[in-house]
Amino acid sequence: MTTADPAPVRRKTLRKRLTDSRAVQLIILTIGVFILWGIISAVIERPDRYLPSPLTTLISSADLLEKGVLISFYSDTLTRLVIGSIVGLLMGIPFGLILGLNRTIADMFYPLMNFFQSVSGIAIFPIIVIWFGNSSTTVMIVILYTSFFPIAFNVLSGVRSVPMRYISAARTMGASRFQIIRDVLLPGAMPSVAIGSRLSIGFAWRAVIAGEMLAGQAGLGNMIFAGQELDNTAQIILGMALIGFTWILLDHFLLRPLESDTIERWGLVTR
Amino acid sequence: MTALTDFSISIQRRFGRQRLRKFILGLIPFALLIGLWELNTAFVWFDPVEIPPIADVWEAIFWLQSDCPGFMAAVDGHNSCQLSNNILSSIGRVILATVVGVPLGIGFGILAGMNRTISAYLEPIGVFMNSVSGIAWIPLAVVWFGVGWETTLFIMLNTIFWLLFFNTMMGVRAVPKVLVQGVQTLGGSHLDAIRQVYLPGAMPSIITGGRMAMGFGWRALIAAEMIGGDSGLGFMIFVSASEFKTEEVFLGVILISIIFLATDRWILVPLEKWTIERWGLVWKPT
Repeated sequence: MTTADPAPVRRKTLRKRLTDSRAVQLIILTIGVFILWGIISAVIERPDRYLPSPLTTLISSADLLEKGVLISFYSDTLTRLVIGSIVGLLMGIPFGLILGLNRTIADMFYPLMNFFQSVSGIAIFPIIVIWFGNSSTTVMIVILYTSFFPIAFNVLSGVRSVPMRYISAARTMGASRFQIIRDVLLPGAMPSVAIGSRLSIGFAWRAVIAGEMLAGQAGLGNMIFAGQELDNTAQIILGMALIGFTWILLDHFLLRPLESDTIERWGLVTR
Repeated sequence: MTALTDFSISIQRRFGRQRLRKFILGLIPFALLIGLWELNTAFVWFDPVEIPPIADVWEAIFWLQSDCPGFMAAVDGHNSCQLSNNILSSIGRVILATVVGVPLGIGFGILAGMNRTISAYLEPIGVFMNSVSGIAWIPLAVVWFGVGWETTLFIMLNTIFWLLFFNTMMGVRAVPKVLVQGVQTLGGSHLDAIRQVYLPGAMPSIITGGRMAMGFGWRALIAAEMIGGDSGLGFMIFVSASEFKTEEVFLGVILISIIFLATDRWILVPLEKWTIERWGLVWKPT
């Protein structure tokens, strides 16, 4: 008997390898989108009004950068997001925890929270404007309102998901109520806290944009809104691109890793 | 006394002790809130412009409908039926966006889920589109379509389509290849595979996506009506707020959440439960 043929090595052609790589696909896609965008804007009438070419948009961004407005808008929006989501989380986590610890309180407040969660932040916006006027306070309240519920609900279900036997075990060994909360319930709820935080910050981001638009406070949301009123479509598209990319970067490089790390570290309870 | 005890026992038997307890406990904060609201009317801690009396909010319904010549006219969308017109136009947009957006989203989602190449190019676009939240599209939509129907419809469609697309794609991808190959071995065509395997397999994920799309879409629709609409509940509360008719704003906000809660509770949640029960073999909760 001759030795068996070595298993055929599957060799991909260079072309196939190139088109299979995600990076290359992404580059092709980006170039394709820009070319399509350029063609459409060249074909339609009055491109400046309806769809300015990529070049025009780029020039307008240089213009805004030069005036220093772009950076100040950007930092305004980010500051709002950071402050809003931190305060929202600081309010939502303890609230969810209290609800998770006590079944009676949870049963009491759950329907109320459910109702207010379905009243979206955007819908109560007009009421907040009547109360506080078109100010930064209004935007901040809308951000806090929208970011509060997802985190509170997630912490609640996280605390609930800790198996009873862990609590019983700690209690058998003489742990106090405080120790049970600190050593069992909190670590057990950690993955839900991480998931809820990401959700909350996502909601906060939408609220920031909407709030700035409606209350006319300086920022990216207002930048695109002003772009519409000033007939400056390039500014709108630039703002939208910034909004999209900021969220993708934030989500991909900060929130997602944070979430998966937390789940890895504390995730024995779920999964 | 015995009659009362009997009554209480029979109610407890009928609804179950736990559920009854939950229900009553849940009612307490609502009752407190409404009580506080009423007290505010009596003692005027806050101006009626800031927090209108409950009676005024209730009366706003009739005040807004006062010139309406009757039920049939309200259904027809008579000009003077302000409240019912706004409600109908909001709901109409939801229905229209659902009718157009759902088949499109599912169709493209199945295509992208079945074909790696298509998904490689559509997925990044989807990620970007979902990141530019529906609300951020409003100014551009206003430039393109002007203030009115098209803008609000576009915003809602945009939100629904991408969410459904994504969820369908994920659902189709999660369908085990073995099942598809099984169908193909038995001589099934591509269409058979879609109809018999991919679609049912992805169904639970699609419905979950649909629920999400409704949640986000409804919010986006309200925002779009505020900025770029000329009718609808969002438009109504925005205009009323600028005229400081707070009772109309409260009424609108309450209606917006009731409509959302009702569709979610009575249509989408049962649908979700039913599909997961019916087709949930393939789908595993993430």
